[in-house]
Amino acid sequence: MKSYAFLFWGYAAVWAGLTIYLIALGRRLSRVSRRLDALERRGGGRDGSAT
Amino acid sequence: MRRSSDLAMSALTVATAGSMAAALWLIFLVAPEERVMGAVQKIFYVHVPLAAITFLSVFLLLTGAAGYLWTRRAGFDHLSIASAEVGWLFCTLVLVTGPIWAKPAWGVWWTWEAKLTTTLVLWLLLAGILLARAYASTPEQGARIASVLGVIAALDVPIVYKAVDWWRGQHPIVFGPGKTDPLAPGMLAALLVSMGAFLLLFALLVAVRARLAAEEDRLAALLEAAARSR
Repeated sequence: MKSYAFLFWGYAAVWAGLTIYLIALGRRLSRVSRRLDALERRGGGRDGSAT
Repeated sequence: MRRSSDLAMSALTVATAGSMAAALWLIFLVAPEERVMGAVQKIFYVHVPLAAITFLSVFLLLTGAAGYLWTRRAGFDHLSIASAEVGWLFCTLVLVTGPIWAKPAWGVWWTWEAKLTTTLVLWLLLAGILLARAYASTPEQGARIASVLGVIAALDVPIVYKAVDWWRGQHPIVFGPGKTDPLAPGMLAALLVSMGAFLLLFALLVAVRARLAAEEDRLAALLEAAARSR
């Protein structure tokens, strides 16, 4: 029975770690995309020309 | 160009999810339970792929670091950033799942055994790379320090791999000479499919993180140009 508890916590740790990282990565990506879009709307371009 | 890259990313996501589901099915419903350790041995099916892919991430990190030091091209730096970060995550999960297996198997959560200690050194080097990137005074300085630490991390990988042979540690040997018993067919299939699934997941995470690094560079360039034009 105790063996199953260790097994559960092992897999829970892996999936929790991966899920937290995926959420953090998604949030960082959408924040950068939002800022890029805002700059584009102000006259910049995604090709790097801001003026 | 961006559209085809989005398509490739979606295909990679579907392949990762499918192979991960297949791996979990094989691990929990097909692979037999190990006689001595019981159910806790199934941690092996995630611990081993995570460890092997940590090594792969350091190889990619070395490629990115050496490429950046040689050519100063941003693409190499993005690869270096992505592989260091995802490699650090995988190495962290190795260091978490290892003790969870070790407690029922060895009776202790942690021992200063050669393989464990050298893996901890690798984790510290990867953490150092992330900290150097985050706290360097300029991105160029961060990239240079990270590249040098990446080369040192790559030197640690063969030491981790050979640690049990060189210092007669108690960590089980899964691959190569010195390996104990062969795996049962159901166990081997579960391990191989799990390895493939984590490899796809790693490729996906590295691709997304490298894209984020490229977008961050583009944003920094735009902000700099906007500030200059004011």
